[in-house]
Amino acid sequence: MHVYKSYDKNYILRDLSFNIYKGEFVFITGPSGAGKTTTMKMVIAMEKPTHGQINVFNEDISAIHPKQIPFLRRKIGFVFQDFKLLINRTVFQNVALGLEISGVSGSIIAKNVADILKAVELYQKRDEYPLSLSGGEQQRVAIARALVQNPSVLIADEPTGNLDFETASIIIDILKSFNNKGTTMIIATHDKTLIELGRARVIDITKN
Amino acid sequence: MISQKINYLNNYIKIAFLNIKSNIAGNIFALSIMSFSFFIMLFFMLSYINIYNYMFSFEKNNTMIIFLKNSEITRSNGARHSNKIVAANIINKIKKFKGVKKVDYYSNKLSYKFMLKHTPSIRTILAKIKPSYFPRIIKIYFKPDYISKIYMSNIYLRLKSMRHIKFVYYSKLMEDKINQFVFFTKMLGFIILLFLFTSSVFVSYSAIKLIILRKQNDIEILKLIGATNNYIKIPMYIESAIGSVIAFILSLILLSAIFNIFIYYKFNKFLSFFKINIIFLNGFDIFLIFFIALLSGFLGTYFSSRKFF
Repeated sequence: MHVYKSYDKNYILRDLSFNIYKGEFVFITGPSGAGKTTTMKMVIAMEKPTHGQINVFNEDISAIHPKQIPFLRRKIGFVFQDFKLLINRTVFQNVALGLEISGVSGSIIAKNVADILKAVELYQKRDEYPLSLSGGEQQRVAIARALVQNPSVLIADEPTGNLDFETASIIIDILKSFNNKGTTMIIATHDKTLIELGRARVIDITKN
Repeated sequence: MISQKINYLNNYIKIAFLNIKSNIAGNIFALSIMSFSFFIMLFFMLSYINIYNYMFSFEKNNTMIIFLKNSEITRSNGARHSNKIVAANIINKIKKFKGVKKVDYYSNKLSYKFMLKHTPSIRTILAKIKPSYFPRIIKIYFKPDYISKIYMSNIYLRLKSMRHIKFVYYSKLMEDKINQFVFFTKMLGFIILLFLFTSSVFVSYSAIKLIILRKQNDIEILKLIGATNNYIKIPMYIESAIGSVIAFILSLILLSAIFNIFIYYKFNKFLSFFKINIIFLNGFDIFLIFFIALLSGFLGTYFSSRKFF
């Protein structure tokens, strides 16, 4: 609520306020440089607002203790435009990361990762390394990694920014299917075609 | 809760081995430098305990030799002061000292015979000398439990103050030299240990820092998906501990091999001539260096990761 963010007295965000409710599918939009990525980063406590308050799960995360940040991030899946996969780990190992970090046992990891890889149609490629996959496949791995912990919220920053239209629509379909299962989806994009594909609530940060 | 901790531990070990695998060349380099450092540490420890052992055994076998004055006097009243009686009196007094094990007396004749027996090469020269010119000696043996620097000094002073004693000799000088040498070795060893310990910390620091720099992107990703600092740091500690343990084992094997090959097979006879018994490191010494090895790895990791987390 009433969030301001500045870098060296240069305000990126001014008085930004919006609410997103449980189970929603929302697009955060605005032109390049409008502060979409900064907004997303503030939601997972990568950045702190200069002024204002950000409530996630009814908790003010602008005042969160640094030691609590990892535990907040485990409840929020995050998908990046540049995928952010570990190139020296296989698809399976990349997806398993989130569960390993939470201290889940090997047998549960094996089952959950297999299930999610089947859902994003990458089970056959579980032993391959990210660099041998296409951009769309890498993004699906990133989505699988974000969703394998069964987070309440998934945030995706330009998830289709590097992908062609056909691959982008596959990604949106995957995100929609998980949204139908109850995961709140927050997608930051400036791509109007994607917004049309998604047919969901749009928050234009330049107007909020 | 316990099963979760076991899962974490499994992951930490798995990540540590992944890190080692991903930087095999750097790790081998670090391992060889650390092995060398630990080898030098172990070598100095080995040298020190052997010097100490030698000094200790030398000290415990220390004897004292008393040279008696000639007391053969016949007084004007006809009374005779016999050497034999004087020696017997002194021996009786010495025997009353605490810690004296045995006292041997060598008269002029016995000293002469002793010389003849033990120095056959100068027998012709000795034959020309009268036995009465040889000294009368009392040799004192001590109980090892009593022997100490202070005890020997006390005995020395008490004997020196006695009448009819020319001078008292024991290996005080030698003992002092050994003490000085042990002190010097101890100080040198300590300085070298400190230097090698610092270099081991630095090697470990560099190896882990290199990993952190190379994996900065991976670390960022791990943090974004909810990894705690400990989740990232603990595998690094495990990695450095594995490195330290392997380096320590290698250095111990190397030292043991050198000890057995050169000392035992080649120099044992030579050293036994000087009554020097070479011993290998005991469990405590090995554990001490092992602890130093682990500590250096731990500190290296601590200093390198402190900047980043």
